[in-house]
Amino acid sequence: MLCEKCKIRDANIQYTEVINGTKKEHHFCAQCAKEMDFGVYAAIFDGEFPLGKLLSGLLGIEDTDKGPDKLHQILCPTCGTGYDEFVRDSRFGCADCYSVFGPLMEDSLKQLHGNLIHTGKTPVYQRQDYMDLRSGTGEHEKDSTEDPNSAVNYEEIFQWNAKLKEALRFEDYETAAVCRDKIKELKKGNEADA
Amino acid sequence: MLRWFEQKDTGRPGVISSRIRLVRNWQDYRFPSTLDEKESGEMVRSLEFGLKDLGKDEGHNFKFAMLGDLEELDRVALKERRVLNSAAVSNKKPAGIFISENEDTGIVLNCDDHIRIQLLQMGLHLEELWERAGKIDDYINERFAYAFDDRYGYLTSFPTNMGTGLRASVVVHLPMLSQGKKFQGLISDMGRFGASVRGVYGERDENFGSLYEISNQKTLGQTEREIIDTVTKAAIQLTNQELQVRKLSLQRHRDEREDEVYKSYGVLKYSRRLTSRDAMIFLSQIMAGLADGLIHTEEDFSVYRLMLGIQPANLQKLSDRPLSKEELDGARAEFIRRELPEL
Repeated sequence: MLCEKCKIRDANIQYTEVINGTKKEHHFCAQCAKEMDFGVYAAIFDGEFPLGKLLSGLLGIEDTDKGPDKLHQILCPTCGTGYDEFVRDSRFGCADCYSVFGPLMEDSLKQLHGNLIHTGKTPVYQRQDYMDLRSGTGEHEKDSTEDPNSAVNYEEIFQWNAKLKEALRFEDYETAAVCRDKIKELKKGNEADA
Repeated sequence: MLRWFEQKDTGRPGVISSRIRLVRNWQDYRFPSTLDEKESGEMVRSLEFGLKDLGKDEGHNFKFAMLGDLEELDRVALKERRVLNSAAVSNKKPAGIFISENEDTGIVLNCDDHIRIQLLQMGLHLEELWERAGKIDDYINERFAYAFDDRYGYLTSFPTNMGTGLRASVVVHLPMLSQGKKFQGLISDMGRFGASVRGVYGERDENFGSLYEISNQKTLGQTEREIIDTVTKAAIQLTNQELQVRKLSLQRHRDEREDEVYKSYGVLKYSRRLTSRDAMIFLSQIMAGLADGLIHTEEDFSVYRLMLGIQPANLQKLSDRPLSKEELDGARAEFIRRELPEL
């Protein structure tokens, strides 16, 4: 079927319009569809982050279901990104936005990624003091070479963590238990050193 | 020194190039969209200073530039050569780039995210690129702690990158497979396995040159190896099918194929004006013809290099004055006449 607008290209987008209970079907090609106004769905045909924009489309719909007023007041305390802004741009303003908006979009994230738990690489040099800084309990150390012992320990924990994840993936609970205990032990050691 | 796309990869037919892109953010700053001019500048300078010895141990030479110091034409030309993305071209805030001599490695600072590491190579080499990207990643991480969450992984500006922050992609050439009726279905199947396929040149349905980019859809919940595996398998699957169709076409329509390839060569070698669309279509014929042994040139050459070279900004760069559309078509024909080796 040809696109009903340009009548040149094949129509590959079917658009069903329901106005006052009257259903009408339209068939467009992607180019023409892009130029038309489909509200939040327009983002699907648009540029670089189709999935991300699609996400904001989905979130935008959820928004009307859940009573928009409360959600509109949500603001990230660190960067000031508001819920509306976040939904519009599908963009986090800072790392803390993840704890503010993350729980609101778990379902959408699941649709997007299929899984919500990171199983890939872990930063090798993410040291405890950086972690402490984020939770506001530790002192900030800029120079990561200053305390080699804790870095080595951390690396060992990271390696055991990787083994633990691998073991869990293959449902090898015996190895997983060994890894878990080893990590516990190393973490204790770290605290004792500090 | 030959740039990465000027090198010829003799590996798997149908595979043009591989790319690994990693996105990271420095824990000490908010993400780029919420940083003001002063903070952006301060952060980029800190990153530049901290990474000034990047690659020295391996004998690699990186150049640093502020994106704002580059002419817009240069930025667009870098985008055409796949070093920058659109966000980096239109970016107005202080941003920088470390770029290797042959342009295969680029680290863009403060565009969509604080750090965007990208490696490119001709042929199917995702594993190797991932190894190299991992080393650069660790080198940066040793100096700058990343925004990371045990559950969500690497935290990025866009939810589409969170987790591994990894986009693995392979560009493949599918001139015959893409003409088949089942192609759309095949692409949907790839989607179900987590690989997305999109045309590289042209708008939406139209894809001049039949180059397709296969990349991972998801970045969270899979390991980097799994992602690379998915994309590699999809690339092998699609190119295998393409080769099968081509083999059949050689058995059944060898004369027609030969005719098409030689005609394309003739048009490319003697035209005085070529639109981007036509040039891409004919170069695609040459690419398939060379791979199938239907045509032989005096010297080996990379057709992909010509495909990148005839893009508007790169052609414009060769001229000393701004060119009109017609003049650009003339410059394109001239470039191809000059660069296409004799038979």
